[in-house]
Amino acid sequence: MTTTTTTHDVHHAPTPLGGGGGWRRLYRGGLLRAVWMTPLFGGIGFGLVVLARWAGSWHPILATEPLVLVAALVAAPLGFLGGIGAFDYWAYYALGYPTRAEDHTGHGARSWRDYFRVNTDHKVIGVQYLVTTVFFFLAGGLLALLVRAELAKPGIQYFDPQTYNGLFSVHAALMIFLFVIPAFAGLANFVVPLMLGAADMAFPRLNALSFWLLPIAGIMMLSSFAMPGGAFACGWTGYATLCSSHQPIGAIFFNQGVQWAGASSIMTALNFLVTIITMRAPGMTFWRMPLLVWANFTTSLLVVIATPFIAGSQFFSMFDHVMHTSFFNPVGGGFPLGYQHIFWFYSHPAVYIMMLPGFGIMSEVIAVFSRKPIFGYRLMALSLMAIVVLGFSVWAHHMFVSGMSSWLRVPMMITTLLIAVPTGIKIFSWLATMWEGKLHFETPMLFALGFLSMFVIGGLSGVMLGAVPIDIHVSQTYFVVAHIHYVLFGGSVFTIFAGMYYWFPKMTGRMYDERLGKLHFWLTFVGFNLTFFPMHILGTEGMPRRVADYLPRFADLNMFISLASFGLGASVLVFLYNMITSWRSGAIAPANPWRAMTLEWQVSSPPPIFNFDEIPQVVGAPYEYGVPGAQHAVLAPSRAREVEEEAVPV
Amino acid sequence: MRRGSIVTLSGIGVIAGGIAAAVALLLPWLPQDASREAGRTDFLFWFVIAICIGIFAAVAAVMIYCVLHFRAQPDDHEDGPPVHGHTGLEITWTLIPFVLVSAIAVTSGIVLSRNDAQARDTLRVDVTAQQFAFTFSYPDAGNVKSPVLRLPEGRSVELYMRSLDVIHSVFVPQFGQKEDLVPGLVTQLHITPDKLGTFPLECTELCGLGHALMRTQAVVMPAKAFDAWLRKQQPASATAAATHTLSVSGAKVFKQNKCASCHTLAAAHAHGKVGPDLDKLVAYAKRPHKPLAAFVRQSIVSPNAYIQPGYQRNVMPQTFGKTIPKTQLNALVSFLVKSAQKASKTKG
Repeated sequence: MTTTTTTHDVHHAPTPLGGGGGWRRLYRGGLLRAVWMTPLFGGIGFGLVVLARWAGSWHPILATEPLVLVAALVAAPLGFLGGIGAFDYWAYYALGYPTRAEDHTGHGARSWRDYFRVNTDHKVIGVQYLVTTVFFFLAGGLLALLVRAELAKPGIQYFDPQTYNGLFSVHAALMIFLFVIPAFAGLANFVVPLMLGAADMAFPRLNALSFWLLPIAGIMMLSSFAMPGGAFACGWTGYATLCSSHQPIGAIFFNQGVQWAGASSIMTALNFLVTIITMRAPGMTFWRMPLLVWANFTTSLLVVIATPFIAGSQFFSMFDHVMHTSFFNPVGGGFPLGYQHIFWFYSHPAVYIMMLPGFGIMSEVIAVFSRKPIFGYRLMALSLMAIVVLGFSVWAHHMFVSGMSSWLRVPMMITTLLIAVPTGIKIFSWLATMWEGKLHFETPMLFALGFLSMFVIGGLSGVMLGAVPIDIHVSQTYFVVAHIHYVLFGGSVFTIFAGMYYWFPKMTGRMYDERLGKLHFWLTFVGFNLTFFPMHILGTEGMPRRVADYLPRFADLNMFISLASFGLGASVLVFLYNMITSWRSGAIAPANPWRAMTLEWQVSSPPPIFNFDEIPQVVGAPYEYGVPGAQHAVLAPSRAREVEEEAVPV
Repeated sequence: MRRGSIVTLSGIGVIAGGIAAAVALLLPWLPQDASREAGRTDFLFWFVIAICIGIFAAVAAVMIYCVLHFRAQPDDHEDGPPVHGHTGLEITWTLIPFVLVSAIAVTSGIVLSRNDAQARDTLRVDVTAQQFAFTFSYPDAGNVKSPVLRLPEGRSVELYMRSLDVIHSVFVPQFGQKEDLVPGLVTQLHITPDKLGTFPLECTELCGLGHALMRTQAVVMPAKAFDAWLRKQQPASATAAATHTLSVSGAKVFKQNKCASCHTLAAAHAHGKVGPDLDKLVAYAKRPHKPLAAFVRQSIVSPNAYIQPGYQRNVMPQTFGKTIPKTQLNALVSFLVKSAQKASKTKG
């Protein structure tokens, strides 16, 4: 399981600094050094807090919350990052030591061990991202199944209320911050530089650091279950004052976990922006970029502008909790609704952060498997920009019943409903792309069609939620649970699956099993609808969300939903089995199994260590299927011929 | 486009729309409405549903048609026609959704402003929420208090709502109205009940571990019966502190303050699981070595003074010392002590 072809490795045999084995290994960047640096930094953090409290005679000196916060949630993760070597280059530079000239030892993967160290190769980082996010997808999914087990019958069966509240809170936090957002970042990490004709991302070391922040955030959120009083249990929205003043210590694990995941997001987004703006191959104008690149460009804009707001809201909430400030606590003059305004100013754009990259994947998959150019390419790109701009003007539609100024509701309703226009343009353009095409129904295309149909339902229920009086009736009920799952599962997760199957041959050099892929799709599609569609009815009838117990009249539907959800959960096993066995022993993939025109398919599978032997010259649009003699790019002649020979039609 | 394909396309569209309409009409979507506001919201709901079914049918028709008609044969390696776009079509599918969402926005705006408009003789009800119970009081009738929201039929009612701790929310599905109660703010909710009956009233904003059980009822009564009920409550409560003697029943105080949402107590038929089991008070009091009555009183007035292992601090409201008048508190304590002693005897 290597992601680079071996021919290029010869010049770059690893020559670690300091060399040698034995004790020196303990001082070299890597997991071994992280094993002692993590507790060391944790201990330093612990000592600082004790010292400060002792000096100020603040009793008790061993106060749990500040100690856990500083030692375990801030200092220890920094020690871990330092230990694995994420800061080595910058630390050497800052301290005036000779820095290592870039010898590319941190590039490419020759064995599985290379995935467990700080690697600066965007392709390795992409795979690291995807494997990590799939792990947290499984963890979040298991939590969801526990939630459904409890909800199968009215009354409280398996979990006490605090634990139950923790289950759905951690489920949502993991799915959003550790699966959907970073899984898109992982796919884009692998694909975007290749699509641009670039050798790597603009800042490879920053790229490596952004990945290693993720496991920290995920482990932090999961480990909150081990805290006294249980995991954070105020929903992934963490509303003040419940989360900021009335929760056990687990709450700050969410506050702080979001910081690490958010920092990772911001770094990656900056990296994408600089890469897309400055590292396009000659001839790759903005209007010749594949729509996946456009999608990640617009997503990165959203991330860079919006994420600092959630960072702020979580810091303030945590300060209220640990330091007894009064950002949101009315007892000290704070304003609880302030939290919601700041939170949703990020978290509504975050919905598009979780959607636009999926739109990009859809444009790639639908064009390639319909064998037609994307219908209305420029309007597709412009509608992405329209969504970015409008996306910042709708946040308060999450707050129609929050008690905010009531005049704000109508303008926010209008902007919210208007977003249906650019979104509609995209859906109609995909349909028009398929019209009169030559449709091939491989797994990525099936997931694309599944996405189209499910996202239409999610979009329409979104329009319903946008209409204020309907929202007043159904907000905070299961209707909202149904809506977000149609948008984030039927939307985002289906596109992530489409992307994973589509680029699997490019990433691993092997084909996945098509029959298992199709089986996975049908199980997911059916299981998904059986699970989430009935939730609409529960919601309009008035069952509140986030409850362990409910009125007996909702019992039958809930039992049905729980049974369906276990089927949906089982469908993931097919996906896992397919991915693992195909990665190990699938058929060898040709360079371009889908006969696609974008640049990543014009190099070998997996691509060479520096992507292109020679920087390609882009000469045309990316989706010129059916145009006689059309070309997207000209590659060095030797390479192009090789690819032609390897190419096997679908 | 051939005429045949238009016919097929429309046919698929009608079938898809029909299925969607059947799902919309045959399944029990909305609860029976019991307020004028819910009636208007239901109209808007069906208006938007009709538009949604139209769009869904159109998209489904095109998609299904594509899947059926444009499927490539396994050995077909050709590309489709290189169509890059069509300005007229693109303008059309920008404008049509724009018009539809504008219609939805205008209709919603009208419904919203009517739903919020108060009539001249609006009845004021004050709502106070705390973890995990609501209290309703009627300021026009000497602040009569009730754990159940009683409303007269056909009269415009405005709820003025406060929260003492975290954010809660008042929702009666049959009224179709909902609003959060935010600490530090007074929020408002307008309801004009127009059907008699008893409806569930639930907290819909996650408010902590007892959230799922934070439920009570809304009772819509004939206007005369409502007035009579108010009058009956009034004398007792207008001079509550003065006239309440020890005769006040501890069981009633237990019920009024919604202790049952969190605690188990056989004598009061309470089965809450959030807080400590009050049938075990005798055993609990042994750990801090306090006399039972003093222990019970302290646990009500300052609940953080002693926390039974397995339970958390700051869950029980710390305001009962102020909100429960002294005579009622005495009654509650003696009621709890007696019930707990009885429970421990039956077990022992």
